Amino acid sequence: MKPLQSRPAPGEALPAPLPLPPRALLAPAAVPAAAHPSAELWAGLHLPGLADARRLEELATQMHAFTPRVSLEPPDGLTLEVRGSLHLFEGVAGLRTRVLAHCEAQGQPAVLSFAPTPLAALVAARAGKSLAVLSHAQLTGQLSALPLSVLRWPQPVVERLQRTGVRTVGAALRLPRAGFARRFGAAQLATLDALTSSTRAVRRLFRPRERFRRRHELTCEISSHEWLMNAFVPMLGELEQFLRARGSGVMQLECRLLHRQGQATRCQLELAAPACAAAQLAALLRVRLEALPLPEPVRALELRAATLLPRTERARSLWQPGEHGGSAGAEAHELIERLHARLGSGAVHGLALLDGHRPECAWTLSAPPPLARHGPLCGITVPAGPRPLWLLKQPQPLPVRDGLPQRRGPLNLLSEPERIESGWWDGGDVARDYYTACDPHGVRLWVFRERGRPHGWFLHGIFG
Amino acid sequence: MADPTLARLLEHPALWRGRSAARIDVVPSGLAALDEQLPGGGWPRSGLIEILIARFGSGELSLLLPALAALTRAPAARWCVWVAPPLMPFAPALVARGVVLDRVAVVGGERPLWAFGQVLGSGACDAALAWARQPQPRELRRLQLAAERGRTLGVLFRPRRAAREASAAMLRLGVEARAGTVRIEFLKGRGATHAVVELAHPDLRAGQA
Repeated sequence: MKPLQSRPAPGEALPAPLPLPPRALLAPAAVPAAAHPSAELWAGLHLPGLADARRLEELATQMHAFTPRVSLEPPDGLTLEVRGSLHLFEGVAGLRTRVLAHCEAQGQPAVLSFAPTPLAALVAARAGKSLAVLSHAQLTGQLSALPLSVLRWPQPVVERLQRTGVRTVGAALRLPRAGFARRFGAAQLATLDALTSSTRAVRRLFRPRERFRRRHELTCEISSHEWLMNAFVPMLGELEQFLRARGSGVMQLECRLLHRQGQATRCQLELAAPACAAAQLAALLRVRLEALPLPEPVRALELRAATLLPRTERARSLWQPGEHGGSAGAEAHELIERLHARLGSGAVHGLALLDGHRPECAWTLSAPPPLARHGPLCGITVPAGPRPLWLLKQPQPLPVRDGLPQRRGPLNLLSEPERIESGWWDGGDVARDYYTACDPHGVRLWVFRERGRPHGWFLHGIFG
Repeated sequence: MADPTLARLLEHPALWRGRSAARIDVVPSGLAALDEQLPGGGWPRSGLIEILIARFGSGELSLLLPALAALTRAPAARWCVWVAPPLMPFAPALVARGVVLDRVAVVGGERPLWAFGQVLGSGACDAALAWARQPQPRELRRLQLAAERGRTLGVLFRPRRAAREASAAMLRLGVEARAGTVRIEFLKGRGATHAVVELAHPDLRAGQA
C-alpha cells in the first residue's frame, strides 16, 4: 500500500512554493531545539458558533499579528504555525493569552490548543481542550481520550465505528491500518495519519486581501460636511486596522461621494509618505472635504485605497521639535500633506541653484525639502558680486530722463558696473551692465543697462 | 550712583522689573546695535513678530537674514518657510548670505493666512515669513498662538499704516529706508523700550565685507 502520510489533507492542493517558516528568518538560536524537539508547532483555534466565511477571513487576517503562516479550516477553525513566533510572545503560555485576548476583544469565543500537527491541534481545540503538546512522543497519549466526533467524519462512518466499540480517537488509532482503509474509507485513514504524522504538514496558507474598498450607505441623505466627516471616521478606522495587520501604508486614497443623480464627487488624498493612522488621514480628509463643493446631497460613501506600500514606523525624537534642538521628521511630511490637500499639489516648492551666469537662469523651483535632497550646493558657486534677495520675473523697463533711470524719481547709482554677457548659444543672449541703485526713498534696486542698442535701462531685482 | 539699599531691594525675588521680565529663548539677529534693543538680546525663537514697512524693499529682509541663515545652518535645523512672498526669493542671494537652501520652502497659492497658520503651528519650521495686507486682529491672535504651539518664529510683513491697529504680535517694528541707512522703530515689545535704531544698510555692508 502506498504511504498515505505524505498526502495532503483531503480537499487541499499542494501550495507552491512552500514558504519559509518564520524561524528561518527570526534568530533560530532563540528557540532551543532540545526543549521543543518537534520541528513544527501548530496552534489550532476553534471558534464555536462562527458560520460567516468573511468573518473567518477577517480573524485569519488579524492572526497575522502572531505568525505569517495561517490557514483557514472552514467553517469555524484556524491553524497557525507558531514555532518561530514563540520566543516573541514569551512561549506557549504568553501566545495563548494574547490570541485569546484578541479573540475576546472581537467578541468571539475561542479555544486554543497546541500540537505538533495542525489537525491534532485543531481537533483538540474542537473537543474544548486547551492542550499544549510540544513533542510527538506525547501526542498519541494526549489525543486518545478525545471523542470520535471531533474528527468530523461522515455520520455513517462514525456510527459503524461506534457499533464496533470504537468511541475515541485512541481506539481508532489502534485499529489495523489495512482493514481500517477497507472498512471505513481511505479518506478516514488519511485523517488518522495526518493526526500523528511526523512528516511536515502541508497546509494552504491564507493570504489576506490586498485591496481595501469599503462602501457605506447613509441612512439619510447628507449635505453637511461635518456629518460626512463623522461617517468617514469609522471607515478610516477600518482602513487603519486593515493596514496595520499587513504592516503597510497607503500614499493615495480615493473617496467617492455618491449622489442620487449625477456623477459621484471624487476626492483624492495624496500623502508624502506611506501612512496608516486614522487620525492623520481624518485630519487630511477634513481639510479636503471643507474645500469640496457638493452639487447635491450625498447618498453613500466609498473609500478605496490605492496600492499598499510597505510602511516603516518613523522614529520620533524624544524632544518636541524645536525644543533642545529636536528636529522635525513626521511634522514636515504632515505639513506638506495638509498644504497640498488644501492649496493644490503645486503649492509648496523648494529652491535650488542652477549653473547659469544669467540671473534668471541661476535658480529654479524644486520639490519641497523633505522630498528632494540635493547635496550642499551641488558644486555650484555663487557669484561674488552683490545679488538682490528678490528677483523680478521679467526685467521691467525704466524711464530715462537726463541720461539717468527713473523710479519714483531719479536713481542714484551706488556701485561700479558688473558685466554679465551670456546665453548666445541658446537664443537668450544677454549683454548687460548691472548696477546697485538707490531710489529717492532709500529702497535699494538692482538695475541694468543693455549694452546693445537702444541701451535701455531695466529694473531686475530689489535688495529687500 | 549705586545706593546699597536700592541694590538690596532690587535683588528681592518678588520684585518684577520690566526689562528682566523678557527672559525668552532668542536667536541673535547678527546686528549688534539691534540685539541691544531687542528684548532678550535677539529675535524670539517662538512667537509672532510684525515688521511694518512703508515700502517693499526697505531693508526689512536684510535685517532678518543673518538670523535666518544661522537657523538653517543649525545641526537639527527645521525649515524656513516663505508664505506668499510678493516676488520670488533669489536663491543665489540667499546662498551668498549663508542660507542652506535645503531648509527653505516657498508656499504659494491662495489663502496665505491659513497657510501661515498651518506652517506656524505644525512644529516643522524654525521660522516662517509671510506677507499679508489686512489680517483681522482675531487672526493675528490665532497666528501668535500657533507660533507658540509650533515653537516657530513667525514674521509677518505689513504696511506701515497698520501701526495704528491693535495686534497680538509679541514684537512690532517699523522699518524705513533712509539714504544709506535703515531706521528701525520699536513700536511694541514685551520688555522693550520705545527706541529707534539707525543702522547702515545691512546689505551694503555685507557687500563690502
